[in-house]
Amino acid sequence: MKEPESTIYPDISDILARKKEGRVHLSRLSFGEKIALVEALRERLAPLKRARERRIAAKSLRQTHSS
Amino acid sequence: MGMKQTLEVINRMEADGIVGRYAIGGAVAAYNYVEPTVTEDLDILVSLDAHRQQPKLGLVTLGPMLSYLQQKGYSEFRKEGLVIEGWPVQFLPVADDLDAEALAQAEEVEIEISAAEGSVKSRVLRPQHIVATALRTGRPKDRIRMVQFLEEDAVDLGALCDVIGRHGLLQAWQAFCHRTGMSDPCDVQLPP
Repeated sequence: MKEPESTIYPDISDILARKKEGRVHLSRLSFGEKIALVEALRERLAPLKRARERRIAAKSLRQTHSS
Repeated sequence: MGMKQTLEVINRMEADGIVGRYAIGGAVAAYNYVEPTVTEDLDILVSLDAHRQQPKLGLVTLGPMLSYLQQKGYSEFRKEGLVIEGWPVQFLPVADDLDAEALAQAEEVEIEISAAEGSVKSRVLRPQHIVATALRTGRPKDRIRMVQFLEEDAVDLGALCDVIGRHGLLQAWQAFCHRTGMSDPCDVQLPP
C-alpha cells in the first residue's frame, strides 16, 4: 500500500530570524527615535483608522435602525 | 506638531504650577526600554499636590488643569484624552502608593526626536513600575507589554519582585505567570 504523501513546507527560519533581528533593532533605537517612528506610523495608519471608525459607525447605525 | 511639542506644553504646565511632578507612563514610557508598539495616546502620571485643597475625586481635581489648557487652545477630547499638539493626552492623577513611588522614582530623560527638532526634557517611569502598573491594570495589551519586558530582559527582576511584593500584587503576578506558562521568577510564596 502506498504511503500517504506528507506535505513539505518551506523552511522559513531565515525569514523568522530576520524578523527577530528587526525587532531587536527596533528595541535598541533611542527613545526619541522610537517616538518619531511611531508618530510616522500613526500618520500612515490614520486612513485605516478612519475607515475602521466609519465601518463601526455604519454598523451601529444599521443596528439602531433594525432594532 | 508632535510629541516634542506635547511634552513642552506639559513641561510648561509643571513650571507654571498647574500640575506637580509628572512622568510619562504606559506604552510611550515602554518605548524607552523595549520594542515600540503603536499607541493612540500619551499617558501622563501626574501629582496634583498643588491642588490638595480640592476634593481628590475625578474630574473636579482635573478642573484647573483643563481650564488652563483650554485657555491655551487645547479643548478637543479624543476618547479619554485631551488633544495637545496632535497627541491625545490622558492625565492620570497619582491614585495609590504604587503610583506615588513610580512617580517619585521616575527617570529624568532628554528626548531627541530628530536632529532638526532638537530635544525635550521629560521623565519616564522605570521598567519595574511600568510592569507593575501593567500587572495591576491587567488588560490583554498590558500582559503583552509585560511579556515584552520579560522577554527582552528589559526589567531588573529583583527590583520588579520587590515592587510586586510591596504593593500587594503577588496574587496577580502568580496568576500572570500561570497564564503565560512561565515559572515564577520571583519565586514568591503567598502566605497561607
